[in-house]
Amino acid sequence: MSAFIDARTVAEGTVLEPDLAIVGGGPAGISMALRLAHTRVRMVLLESGGMSFDAKVQQLYDGAETGAPYLPLDSSRVRYLGGGTNLWGGWCRPMDAIEFEQRDWMPHSGWPIERHTLTPYYPAAQSLCEAGPWLYEEAERWSADQAPVIALGEGGVATRWFQFSKMRGSPLPTHFGERYADDLKHVPNLATYLHANVTKLGLAPGGGALERLDVATLSGRRFTVKPKCAVLALGAVETARLLLASNDVMKAGVGNGSDNVGRYFADHPIPRDIATLVLFAGQPAPFYPQNQLIQDAIMRAGLFPSERYRRAKHMLDCSITIEDEATLDDLGKAALAETAAALGVDAGSASVHSLGGGCEVTPDPERRLVLTHERDALGMPKLKLQMRIADADFAHFRDTLKELGRQLLASRVGMLRLNRKERGEWLDGLDWGNHHMGTTRMSADPKTGVVDADLKVHGLSNLYVAGSSVYPSYGAVNPTLSIVALALRLADHVKGKLG
Amino acid sequence: MKDLFTRRNILIGAGGAAVVAGAGYEVSRLLRKHYAPTPYDDLLARLDDREAAARIGSAVELGEYDVKTAAAYLRARLKDTSLSAAMAQDAADGRLVEAHGWVLPETLALLCALAAKVKA
Repeated sequence: MSAFIDARTVAEGTVLEPDLAIVGGGPAGISMALRLAHTRVRMVLLESGGMSFDAKVQQLYDGAETGAPYLPLDSSRVRYLGGGTNLWGGWCRPMDAIEFEQRDWMPHSGWPIERHTLTPYYPAAQSLCEAGPWLYEEAERWSADQAPVIALGEGGVATRWFQFSKMRGSPLPTHFGERYADDLKHVPNLATYLHANVTKLGLAPGGGALERLDVATLSGRRFTVKPKCAVLALGAVETARLLLASNDVMKAGVGNGSDNVGRYFADHPIPRDIATLVLFAGQPAPFYPQNQLIQDAIMRAGLFPSERYRRAKHMLDCSITIEDEATLDDLGKAALAETAAALGVDAGSASVHSLGGGCEVTPDPERRLVLTHERDALGMPKLKLQMRIADADFAHFRDTLKELGRQLLASRVGMLRLNRKERGEWLDGLDWGNHHMGTTRMSADPKTGVVDADLKVHGLSNLYVAGSSVYPSYGAVNPTLSIVALALRLADHVKGKLG
Repeated sequence: MKDLFTRRNILIGAGGAAVVAGAGYEVSRLLRKHYAPTPYDDLLARLDDREAAARIGSAVELGEYDVKTAAAYLRARLKDTSLSAAMAQDAADGRLVEAHGWVLPETLALLCALAAKVKA
């Protein structure tokens, strides 16, 4: 067993020459390192932080935001081993086939891979996320006895399931750094460096290959890594920053020949109390408002637009969850009484709930990260996020909620109030998923993306990107499970290349 | 033991029951809300509570609402069917109207709007 290496103790001027350098110790980087354990691939894993939160390290995330209200760039990420999993909620769900398709009604949609490409990697990703047995599809076929779901009948919205990560021996979701630290230390072909910040991608003359990584510590130490191959697994913000800032050979930045790096930034808007749900017969099953242990998995039901509905109605994705109990005002009471009486149903024990959820956003090249003239403690240029969100994206969410309301009435089980309509109402108190995506999008055509279907940066022979920055479109489910699945697939590809 | 079911006792009992029933009806009639007759009472009678319906109807988001046109439409919609069935069909067909965000079947919403207009 080898301990992690503190990069602050590495001799100045050291040159490391591994087969593979993984830059970033979040879920993607750690998953790749574990996948390639005990192979002939000699790896280094370079993590900017240590094993716990450090304000000075976190400060390296500092940036600016303009445009639509958004979270400060240094508050929605965590910079130590484990990355985003140090603060995630553990929500897991695979992406649907439709997310990968080119859709005429969604500009810039279409992945260069299909859903089945990821299918073999999802079980292993599920295992790394410790989200229990794979029950997503099976749960949709459970009988009413097994899972008394809301009888919505035919329509565009149906009950589907989240599963939740739970770290072994902990009530918390799996924090990849804490959970897999010992496993990483036991990998003989891996050296993990903590407090190691890659500050520049050094390209070979001509720019066709990555030659070296410049590494710096906050204590002032500098050394170099010259890998045969490197993977950037820094998250959608920092990966874009490093590519843009490495602009000595390629003036627009590495992989930015078509000006796509940093563009198409995305996150999932999480508006609260988007609707009020009334169920005539009383409380919903407990797996709607709260996580429940079902068949050895922690599960929660949500309400999702079906793929068929989305194709037919040209809808973006969203997820709807049943939240806290709510109360009705006088108009709500009147609407409930009159509607139930007119439908001929007994609503004497009706329950009322607030609905929450998240929605997809349309890929937008103008929602982007750009470098500023300000520098951080390592001399790296800071970022500015130009945030935008289209009214149409909220309108899609509202239309799907209205479809849910329609189904409730048609099946005489309940009714719905839409609580948000105008843009200001949607933006009021809007939260975000902290799911950074899209800044190094995947595309078969170098003109429309940054990485190819193998996640290799277009135009470079040995530089790859892992993480949700490669998503060309985003769906509405939490990205970690798919990030890990993509990382495992990339690990296999890199192993074959270096093999 | 005397026979309770004599002709006299039966007549007294029936008379008493009629008085009680009549009194109950009268009390109920007195307690029920009274409305001035309108040309749309056949439609408004379908509502459970005209006051509540009018409150909803005031919030219904409709464009131009002509009472006579709406009434004619509603009579056609409800000619051979119950309000419940008409509402279910509205929902099945996607004919929905919002009332301050509440998603309602069109027939109910139009009835509520009618109640609001009549009240006004």
